[in-house]
Amino acid sequence: MKNAVKIILVLTFVSLLSSGILSAVDMLSKDKILRNRKKAIDSAISKVIPAAVEVVHEGVIYKAFDKGKKVLGYAFLAEGQGYGGGIKMVCAVSPKLDKLLGIEIIESQETPGLGARINKEWFKNQFKGLDILNKITYTKSKPSGKSQIQAITGATISSRSVVHIINRRIEEIKKQFDSQGN
Amino acid sequence: MKNSFVKGLWKEHPVFRQLLGMCPTLAVTTSAVNGLSMGLAVMFVLNFSSLVVSLIRKVVPSQVRIAVYTIIIATFVTLADVFLKANYPSISKSLGPYVPLIVVNCIILGRAEAFASKNTPVKAVMDSLGMSIGFLWGLILLGGIREILGNGSFFGITLLGPGFEKWVVMVLPAGAFLVLGLLVAAMNFIEKRKTKVKVL
Amino acid sequence: MKELLVIFISAVLVNNFVLTYFLGICPFLGVSSQYESAIGMGLAVTFVMTLASSMCWMTYHLLLVPYGLEILQYVVFILVIASLVQVVEMFIKKYSPPLYESLGIYLPLITTNCAILGLTLFMVIRDYNFLQSVVFGFSSGIGFSLVLVMMAGIREELRFSDVPEVFKGAAITLITAGILALSFMGFSGLISS
Repeated sequence: MKNAVKIILVLTFVSLLSSGILSAVDMLSKDKILRNRKKAIDSAISKVIPAAVEVVHEGVIYKAFDKGKKVLGYAFLAEGQGYGGGIKMVCAVSPKLDKLLGIEIIESQETPGLGARINKEWFKNQFKGLDILNKITYTKSKPSGKSQIQAITGATISSRSVVHIINRRIEEIKKQFDSQGN
Repeated sequence: MKNSFVKGLWKEHPVFRQLLGMCPTLAVTTSAVNGLSMGLAVMFVLNFSSLVVSLIRKVVPSQVRIAVYTIIIATFVTLADVFLKANYPSISKSLGPYVPLIVVNCIILGRAEAFASKNTPVKAVMDSLGMSIGFLWGLILLGGIREILGNGSFFGITLLGPGFEKWVVMVLPAGAFLVLGLLVAAMNFIEKRKTKVKVL
Repeated sequence: MKELLVIFISAVLVNNFVLTYFLGICPFLGVSSQYESAIGMGLAVTFVMTLASSMCWMTYHLLLVPYGLEILQYVVFILVIASLVQVVEMFIKKYSPPLYESLGIYLPLITTNCAILGLTLFMVIRDYNFLQSVVFGFSSGIGFSLVLVMMAGIREELRFSDVPEVFKGAAITLITAGILALSFMGFSGLISS
């Protein structure tokens, strides 16, 4: 009997101590972790819309304004599955929703040296100024047309995933703007 | 005392000789810096858990010892994970889910059960220090080999020029298995040579 | 429905838990030397994984999230898994003593099988709903068992070949796993996002 009591006491004590320490640490670090995430998104937005002076967060859209309070473009998060894991990026589109201003990858777990090259400037730069009235496509050879990019050699799946994620998200954003009567 | 420390570095190396903790070893060693980060995280969890387990070893009833050790280890792992997320978010992202998986890293529970629960705190920490340093150099070695062959760099510094055709398979899962298998064979070979020399 | 099929194929072939995520290596190396024990272990792990994903999902969404206790995720999940394995162990001991004997020490070791905790962590990261989590748990178990049984078959054949001394045991198993992983890479194009 005494042993059973000891068991319960020890377990309860250890559990309480653990929960206590973790809850305290959680409270202390929650803010910092959220701030880190926000910093990543903010820095990505400033990369895709460099001229932005002010960014206003409304729902899922980040509206970027210039000095004269004119809308430079809309930025938003897009995520989905890549080859090695999830891909999270920030995309920016023109105010008329007809051009892609650029993309910036904030999270990815693609293969180093292959799929990870979606982070390289040359790949991301392909998306600047793309026509998004139609779906973006990819090709393994030289891109043709205003809505096509070239996939990374040996990383077709990663490249394809990026394109699909962007297309899907742009559809959703367009629908949202339509329903809001913008 | 010195023996408690030294054995983890080579003779009873947690990965190459005891074959424990393989999951993170294979998963995060896509580069030397990832191996270093994981090694340090494990060092934190292993040493503090061993210390606490040893300190409370006389108070914990035998039937619940595994449960108690698990709670202790999981607590330190959560602390390490939160620390990384808050202060080094990019490292946290590269190591991904393998940080929380330190909870089930057989090295930690194994040392707690086999050694820390039966020895004084000082000896327990000596043992865990040895094991964790052993684990650390093992990870850096594996990560280094895979990074050099698979990416031509070491700790991010490009060593082999653009003429080097990267063995991308090295940074893929298949390469991890292959390199580790070869390293284990190499360690076996070295041990065999040592015992042969002794016999002579 | 299609989405559940994608989860299944992904977990079994495309992103196999052992060959892609390196989860479950310890039992993979330890139990894969014989065909029968590999099958038994595979079944036990699949059973535990399916239960673990459902129970951890419920614990996470019905207990931790409503009270803002997500920080306790790792501690709580591992305790749920440990208790689950304890119960499964008692169950197998009572209803199938020969299976209990053949699995031996590896049965309680399922608790430290990173595949189980890994599965519950992925389920949370990917934000699966209950049904998706159960299918994911079951599929991961099947994927694990598949590779385990394949490895057992290969190792039984290897017994008749002349493996150099230094490669015997873990080394040759790891190298075999590497070749197996290479072959599984062929499945990567199977699912297009």
